[in-house]
Amino acid sequence: MSEAETITHDIIVVGAGLAGTWAAMTAGQEGVADVGVLSKIHPLRSHSSAAQGGIAAALNNVRPVEGTGPRGPLEAIPEGDEPVDSLDLHMFDTVKGSDWLGDQDAIEIMVREAPEIIYTYEHMGCVFSRLPDGRIAQRRFGGHSAPRANYSADYTGHVLLHTIHEQALRHGVHFYSEWYCLDLIVEDNVCRGVVALDIATGELHTMRAKAVMFGTGGYGRAFQITSNAMANTGDGVAIAYDAGIPLMDMEFVQFHPTGLYGKGILMSEACRGEGGYLKNNSGERFMERYAPDKMELAPRDLVSRAEQTEIEEGRGVGADAKGLHLDMTHLGAEKIMERLPQVRELALNFAGVDIIDEPAPIQPTAHYSMGGIPANVNGQVIADADGTPVTGFYVAGEVACISVHGANRLGTNSLLGASVFGRRAGRAMAAFVQGGAQLQPVPDGLAAGLEKRIEALMDDGSVNGGAESVSQIAQELKATMTKNCGVFRDEGRLTKALQDVRALQERFKKARIMDKSRRFNTDLLGAIETAHLLTFSEVIVASGLARTESRGAHFRTDYPKRDDENWLRHTVAHQDDDGPRLSYKSVTIDWDKYPPQERKY
Amino acid sequence: MTSVNGRSRQVLVRIQRFNPDHDEKPYLQAFEVEAKPGMTLLDTLIEIKEEQDGSVTFRRSCRHAICGSCAMNVNGTNILVCHEPLRKHVDRRGRVTIRPLPYLPIIKDLVVDRTSFWEQYLRVKPWLVPPDDVPEKEFRVSPEEVTALHNAEKCIMCGACYSACQVIALNKQYIGPHALLKAFLRVLDPRDSSPGERLADLDGADGVFRCHTIFNCIDACPKELNPTQAIETLRKLVQKRLAFEEARQERQTTLTRPVSLVRD
Repeated sequence: MSEAETITHDIIVVGAGLAGTWAAMTAGQEGVADVGVLSKIHPLRSHSSAAQGGIAAALNNVRPVEGTGPRGPLEAIPEGDEPVDSLDLHMFDTVKGSDWLGDQDAIEIMVREAPEIIYTYEHMGCVFSRLPDGRIAQRRFGGHSAPRANYSADYTGHVLLHTIHEQALRHGVHFYSEWYCLDLIVEDNVCRGVVALDIATGELHTMRAKAVMFGTGGYGRAFQITSNAMANTGDGVAIAYDAGIPLMDMEFVQFHPTGLYGKGILMSEACRGEGGYLKNNSGERFMERYAPDKMELAPRDLVSRAEQTEIEEGRGVGADAKGLHLDMTHLGAEKIMERLPQVRELALNFAGVDIIDEPAPIQPTAHYSMGGIPANVNGQVIADADGTPVTGFYVAGEVACISVHGANRLGTNSLLGASVFGRRAGRAMAAFVQGGAQLQPVPDGLAAGLEKRIEALMDDGSVNGGAESVSQIAQELKATMTKNCGVFRDEGRLTKALQDVRALQERFKKARIMDKSRRFNTDLLGAIETAHLLTFSEVIVASGLARTESRGAHFRTDYPKRDDENWLRHTVAHQDDDGPRLSYKSVTIDWDKYPPQERKY
Repeated sequence: MTSVNGRSRQVLVRIQRFNPDHDEKPYLQAFEVEAKPGMTLLDTLIEIKEEQDGSVTFRRSCRHAICGSCAMNVNGTNILVCHEPLRKHVDRRGRVTIRPLPYLPIIKDLVVDRTSFWEQYLRVKPWLVPPDDVPEKEFRVSPEEVTALHNAEKCIMCGACYSACQVIALNKQYIGPHALLKAFLRVLDPRDSSPGERLADLDGADGVFRCHTIFNCIDACPKELNPTQAIETLRKLVQKRLAFEEARQERQTTLTRPVSLVRD
């Protein structure tokens, strides 16, 4: 297959979810119109659309009704009355939620820009749920001390994504729909472009740009039970790592407490925000024993560990007793139909349960990747623990690790982070281009090299060709990651996981694909994606093995305490011949205002 | 078809195959699958691809009916395969037949070319056109005004309705139920400043009067939306365009004031 012509743009964005679309649109608004956005699926299929519960901002539209307690009804705050929320409180909640691993300069920016970005979304046409007086409705959410989740029923992400995509189209953003980025071109610490596959035709294209941004999302598909879409295979993370860019905090994988039992499909935290209870096989609201103050609205890592403990101690429900109950029967049909309609549909379709009448079976599900490609607050990627910037390479959204979420992310902060930092990256890239950035030379033969890789995957005739099955390898990877690198970890299991991942990497060399056609070859994509899963899973496990403490979502049963003296630092991993080479980066902390404290709920 | 203790049985899954690079025309290929409890049609396709034939090609991502990737034609009806149980679609002879969405060019197997679908979406200008006067905070939109949008914001652009529409089958110039539902969302939104222009555009040769109220769109919609009702509403508004425009201008003078004050 001959290589098609090289394509050039001022800016190339990979990923068309909230982060990528904000960046592309913003760059255009700042005067850099030559932007191309690649997406391996149609932009509206991006996983941002799956977010359900809300997007956080201290708008101060609602407050708890006086005297009704922390799970009582909410009411609109009349004009002129005392606010109940503040940027400071949002900041503190996020810092505490991150178990003090979040960089506080980045968090401060995010909470500060939050109200304005919500209003911007609303002015752009987002149909939010409303209070009687017409203001945006807010609900409670785990780990937040005030009700600040701005929502659109229970499909907030869907509404935000469609809105920002429409606005991007209005501003003339050019989308390369169903183009798959295969390689990042970085040389001498300067990013020069990408190599991409036009999925429909199978043609490879070298694409040069002055600035490249990844908004490629998370990596939940390394696990068996995940809320993540099948597309979330951490491509951006793996490609950058292979290109010499480090990854940061990969060991911090958030397990969401309420994935549908057996499938992992997300049942929004809003279920608990609206008053739902978690119960074990004796009908007990077990959160009383783990977080007596916040109960079901403790942060996700805490709740998932509570659930996992209940399961491991024999109090689970379901065929293999690995589930628990999410009980919303006391909320009433009206409230469920108005605020949680999608969740009800999901439980009906996938569990055969009507949450109006029965509790839904749930279990912890791999949900969010706090780790990713490290960057500063303007989205510019850094090459090492010292913060040396990579010229021309930017990230935002779930693929980025800035880090606003630290060791654990609060619900509703992800939609916020993706929007705020996507926009900032767009501005930074526009400034970079307008400041005189030039297209940099790219090496010859990049596409040809990838061509060979593709042909090799199709070559049954080679030594051991076809001896292994891609899907079998993927399944075994997910099994070991779930068992040995899940909610609870220890040295023995992590070591086993590392061995398994490396063995699977070896076996993958003998895997071949059946589909030999170049036209829309999803068999090929599946193989490349599985290779990516193997690449970054090694980093997750190695980082987790090295971190001998428990913090946020990373819990070691052999090191159950948080160890600020030795471990108040980010893990930075570079690719090396015999595995990830780890170094450590300090955390930005305002020691006067938000010094580390014990994290109790 | 055998039923073993009622819990699992063999199903014949017929999938329409077509690779324009080497096939003269589409053909059905049959795969035998053991139907397990709780298996969806998407699970079935994935299993066939992973264990029997890696070249079977289809779009999918979220597997919980929000991304809109996996609309296909199963036993003659357009559905989203990710949230449909396999057993519901097995016929009396133990077979299920999966074809790509009809009336659209086939790229490969179950993957169709949606160019005309997205062109119509763009054509109705799906973005909101806000008024010049933008408040510091949010516009005040009442819960009733949100309800009147009849869930049109829930549309995931899956294409099941578009590809089930008999008018579309014969006339790709017709705007189509998906785009008309989006247009409805914007026309009815009190924050949109261009209802008159939108309605004028929808009044054209390929607009709201092209719908023949066949109702295939309602049958096909996996989100239980009602494009026909939206189209009928738009027809009425098209005929009262000037009055509607005036009412919108009036409403926009109060968009920054709390809703309860407006009612007084």
